[in-house]
Amino acid sequence: MENSSKEDYKIQSFDLETQKLLKTALKDPGSVDLEKVSSVIVDQSLKDQIFSREAGRICHTIVQAEAKQSNGNVFRRNLLNRLQLEFKAREETRKRSTQEWVCLVSFICNIFDYLKVNNMPMVALVPPVYDCLFRLAQSDSLKNEEEVDCLVLQLHRIGDQLEKMNTPLMDELFNLLRDGFLLQEDLSSMGRLLLLEILEFRAGGWTLSDTAQKYYYSEVTD
Amino acid sequence: MSEQQSYSYENDCKSDENRNKGASRWSQCRKRGADGSLRKAEEDQRCSRRPESFTTPESDGPVSRVKNWGDAVEAEEMRSDVRRDMHRYRRRILAVDVPQRDRKLSSGSSDSRDSQNSKDSTAKGDIETDEAVLVRRQKQINYGKNTLAYDRYIKEVPKLMREQGVHPKTPNKFKKYSRRSWDQQIKLWRVKLHAWDPPAGDLQQIEEIDLGEIMDFELDVECSADPESQCPSANAAALSLAEDSFRGTPKKMMKMEDAEMS
Repeated sequence: MENSSKEDYKIQSFDLETQKLLKTALKDPGSVDLEKVSSVIVDQSLKDQIFSREAGRICHTIVQAEAKQSNGNVFRRNLLNRLQLEFKAREETRKRSTQEWVCLVSFICNIFDYLKVNNMPMVALVPPVYDCLFRLAQSDSLKNEEEVDCLVLQLHRIGDQLEKMNTPLMDELFNLLRDGFLLQEDLSSMGRLLLLEILEFRAGGWTLSDTAQKYYYSEVTD
Repeated sequence: MSEQQSYSYENDCKSDENRNKGASRWSQCRKRGADGSLRKAEEDQRCSRRPESFTTPESDGPVSRVKNWGDAVEAEEMRSDVRRDMHRYRRRILAVDVPQRDRKLSSGSSDSRDSQNSKDSTAKGDIETDEAVLVRRQKQINYGKNTLAYDRYIKEVPKLMREQGVHPKTPNKFKKYSRRSWDQQIKLWRVKLHAWDPPAGDLQQIEEIDLGEIMDFELDVECSADPESQCPSANAAALSLAEDSFRGTPKKMMKMEDAEMS
């Protein structure tokens, strides 16, 4: 039981003391410094690629636990405000380290995916998420496989939700992706493949046809 | 609230091209424009003109006045809670076939309409639907409910045992009231709740009072008969009233921060 909950939240990369802090936050949020907890989570998300893609889940649980226990949202507020600071500094982060930049994007998108308001996505996060994706669709990013990989991952996970929240923006984004695919000469062949797949994915209503699935993914299992 | 945002500068580029070259929509996909020049040059230009943000920020609604994501999401949540409450309330009103339990009508009305009439008038849409008003009212209600007095009250007196006039009743935010009338109801409700304040031995330090809870009152509301209040300004009036409410009442952590001062 203990092990499976650790795995669920992917917190193995934290040191033991911090793991303890997080586990306590999950059960009894009122007893810990929630600002510290949110800070620790954001810090780790920027360093650890695996965690950045899954951190939304643990955040969601802590938010629920706090709301249930005391009707508070200290954790959520601190998390979002810290995230906003990181978002504002994204261009510098990208210059400094592509790894950190893609971790940041994964984390923001994961938060968007998991932290809902009355079961609806957070409207306030829609423009920042789109901003990140548009940045990844710029030509200097498209030539980095790491960034293309991040972009298509996010679109797979939250593309349909984002499209519902703002369809014209999604159309614009895909115009850029089409352009990039067709015209940009310095894309790697993997980059091109990733773009083609995501173009087909969206065209199919955010799902791949069986034949397309076979085409793109059968070699992975072989 | 508009969700339409446009990423405009890319469009400008392309629409200009279309206009100039005139041809089919495929012309913008060609490597060369109609004049033979490579599109690559265009792209470099675009790169250097990259805006800081690709999405036009929303310019309407309360979100624009908010500085940070924490506040924005809290505001979103309040609005969405209030909308959900409104749907539930409407369903409840329309579904009720028996006379409403609540015989006492709004303080503003003096005639005794029968419950059927009252139900009809609310069904016809005579309920408060202005989101801004509902959110403000809900905030005021939240301040009252986030108190130990309220907690003790609801534990002590089950809803069914409540007697009209004796037991405090949360004002109904969906009924139509004037601003003054509503504010007065809230004030009276909170004063009544004081009867359930914990005994004086539980008094905690003044520092724990969350002065962020400034109640949203109209400017000309009189101060309560509180010897501490010497307040000319509305701000101070609201503050002293808030303090009056706090007197002898240790507070739980407040969920809401600043109320809107209109």
